[in-house]
Amino acid sequence: MRLEARQISVRFGALAALASVSLDVQSGERRALIGPNGAGKTTLFNVIAGELRPASGSVLLDGRDVTSLPTWRRARMSVGRTFQRSALFPRLSVSENLELAVRRGALGGRRRAVPDRLAAAGLSAVAERPAVSLGHGEQRALEIELALACEPRLLLLDEPMAGLSGAERQAALARLRDLPRSVTLVIVEHDIDAVFAIAERITVLDHGVRIADGTPAEVRADPRVQEVYLGRS
Amino acid sequence: MPAVLLAVLISLPFWTPSRYWVSVAIQALILAVFAMSLDLLLGFGGMPSFGHAAFYGMGAYACGKLFPQLTGGGLLAFLAAGMAAGVIAALPIGALAVRARGIYFLMLTLAFAQMVWGLAFQWTSFTGGTEGMSGIPQAVPDWLQEQGQNVWPALRTAGPFYVVALTVAVLAFAGLTAITRSPFGRALEGIRENEGRMRALGYPTYRYRLAAFVIAAAFAGLAGATTALYNGYANPSQLYWHTSGLVLIAVIVGGTRSLLGAVLGAFFVTIVQLVISSYTEHWQLLLGAVFIAVVLFLPGGLISLGRLGWLRR
Amino acid sequence: MNGLVFAGLVFLLAAGLSVIFGVMDVLNLAHGSFYMLGAYAAFAVVSRTGSFWLALLLGPLTVGLIGAVMELVLFRRLYQRGHLAQVLLSFGFTLVFVDLVRSWFGPRTYGIAPPPGLGGAFHVAGANFTKYDVFILGVSLLVGAALLVGWRLLKVGAVLRAGVSDKEMVGLLGIDLGLVFTLTFAFGAALAGLGGVVAAPFVAIHPAMDDNVLILALVVVVLGGLGSIEGALAGSLLIGLAYSFGTFYLQEFSIAIVFALMAAVLVLRPRGLFGIRT
Ligand SMILES: Nc1ncnc2c1ncn2[C@@H]1O[C@H](COP(=O)(O)OP(=O)(O)OP(=O)(O)O)[C@@H](O)[C@H]1O
Ligand SMILES: [Mg+2]
Repeated sequence: MRLEARQISVRFGALAALASVSLDVQSGERRALIGPNGAGKTTLFNVIAGELRPASGSVLLDGRDVTSLPTWRRARMSVGRTFQRSALFPRLSVSENLELAVRRGALGGRRRAVPDRLAAAGLSAVAERPAVSLGHGEQRALEIELALACEPRLLLLDEPMAGLSGAERQAALARLRDLPRSVTLVIVEHDIDAVFAIAERITVLDHGVRIADGTPAEVRADPRVQEVYLGRS
Repeated sequence: MPAVLLAVLISLPFWTPSRYWVSVAIQALILAVFAMSLDLLLGFGGMPSFGHAAFYGMGAYACGKLFPQLTGGGLLAFLAAGMAAGVIAALPIGALAVRARGIYFLMLTLAFAQMVWGLAFQWTSFTGGTEGMSGIPQAVPDWLQEQGQNVWPALRTAGPFYVVALTVAVLAFAGLTAITRSPFGRALEGIRENEGRMRALGYPTYRYRLAAFVIAAAFAGLAGATTALYNGYANPSQLYWHTSGLVLIAVIVGGTRSLLGAVLGAFFVTIVQLVISSYTEHWQLLLGAVFIAVVLFLPGGLISLGRLGWLRR
Repeated sequence: MNGLVFAGLVFLLAAGLSVIFGVMDVLNLAHGSFYMLGAYAAFAVVSRTGSFWLALLLGPLTVGLIGAVMELVLFRRLYQRGHLAQVLLSFGFTLVFVDLVRSWFGPRTYGIAPPPGLGGAFHVAGANFTKYDVFILGVSLLVGAALLVGWRLLKVGAVLRAGVSDKEMVGLLGIDLGLVFTLTFAFGAALAGLGGVVAAPFVAIHPAMDDNVLILALVVVVLGGLGSIEGALAGSLLIGLAYSFGTFYLQEFSIAIVFALMAAVLVLRPRGLFGIRT
């Protein structure tokens, strides 16, 4: 699915969280969205997913303007997302969590897909435990699997690797690499190695402004990016 | 456990010492239906309504207002009218209230319910004012009236309405159990746990919440109709916020997220209200103290005492 | 009852409710009970000493103390468990207080006379005012003004509230959150107690007097926006006017009209007139 976010602006009071930011992602592309804390990455995801209405600008999916569509409608158009802070169903079991996801907002069947999903995420052993009782790594794995279980064509991943151990990181990376090309991937991630391992193009935000956009090599060479990343830290 | 409870209730007229206990049981059963309907909203949907009496009262008033027309249709017509009244009131109220969450939802439901109460209380020409409406027939079907006692001699003392109340309660339990176990019920729990995620998964959460609100109101209306038939009247106190509070106490004391808990709570509240009150004037103090204790020390309610051994989740 | 005076009285209650909510995020359903306790305290003091002014001092103090104890002993345990538990707890107290009052004072209805000097009535601009009406208005205006100024200080608490879930942060700031909460709850309770004392000379003092008042205060607070003093002021005025308008012109709907007004505001502004928080 092709994603075009055109000149998106979002304000929180006096703060311009996004100032006319555009993002154009081709169908099947792997795109990384990076930037320092508070750059507006999550905010942009919220706009794309439908949780936030931008003050100006528009969001197009496969050329269709969805700016005024609610989140659930966009989800049914195959937009899947993960949250920076795991957004699970704490008191429901892991398999109940996934059951809600495979139904994709409808009440029909498809529960049969749940065991496969559990296996793919490596969560079969904890299937009957409430999500709240999982360890951080397992929660992140479930977080990603909830999004994948919807069979998205556009997948927005908000710092999926945050807080994972080395081994868990590798597992998550492998899972993302295996995604078919029918899935367009936009990933926000602070782990630069992971970014360069996955991304074909990188967009850099800072203070709500897009400061770079290009191939990994271009972005790495960009003086403004170097200033933001090196100059400050 | 539901089976044991059912057995006790079915056999009640055989071993009960008096008609009095049957009447306590009837009122407990009615409150149980009311409490289960609130539990759908509060326990499963995570929507703490403090105005559920609006729909209970609407159910009663529908019977009061329409009984000349409904009498021909018999018991089912009354019960259906009660449910319909609940639904009709819940659609506009829910459409507005469900947009709010948590405390705001609680206050909105309370306010809307008080509005309904205000109308019933003051609009005397239409609602009968403080007096409400009386003379509602029990509408026990003829065959039950006549044949029931032959089949089940105990009914001679218990009165045939016990069968009506028990049947309504059992059907409501079955219906609400089916709803909570259905994909819809699961989705409702998902919304309670994490509404944002449910939206992101493609669930139109507003509609789900509104649907739950309306279904809960329908069952509350059913309970209200049953109480109107049993007592023969509809009056403003059935709509007052004390009634909303009482049913909330029943659900919390019994245990949320469990229909059986709601039933248990309803029996507890009824016994305190009707039985203990004949020994002491201060049943409200007792009820309040128990309620406070449960809120503080037993968040899972009475039902969680039974669960301690075999944790369900 | 004059709409303005009515508004003034409701404001005293709504303000306390709003302060408690604004700082602690607790919706206190026992607020009507605090008002009732204030009125009974007034009756107890006046019937023993004959001094309304002493009651005006002791009533709010007593109720404030009760509030402080409730917060210290019970509410405190529930901060981890979220708002609903606290609302429920406060609701439990409405039952307890009603019965306690009934067991101490009996089910009778009492009344007290306005203090000497505030007895008579007079005309202004074609409307009838008693001197006591003016007194009520004066008290509410005074409280309102003091709160508007003091609210900025209380905002300290609102900032702290953000830290309820983040104990370390609050510890780092070196502020005793617990103390702030106790004082706030006590203060809100005292305001309701004050409302009760002030109302005592012209309402019937009986064990069900908490009912309507609680609901009205809630409506005002919801109308004005939870946690906003300006909102409580505006909400009280609106409700007072709507109520007196209703009693004059639409007698069968005077209660419903108040709630309809609230519903209308909420449809247009879900957080109330002055509400900002989401
Ligand atoms: N709901 C909100 N209300 C007010 N300000 C907000 C809100 N959400 C985000 N912000 C502010 O907007 C700015 C951008 O936030 P955003 O979460 O998009 O950053 P981010 O790039 O995802 O940062 P991080 O790497 O820390 O996740 C930040 O300054 C943040 O404080
Ligand atoms: Mg972020």
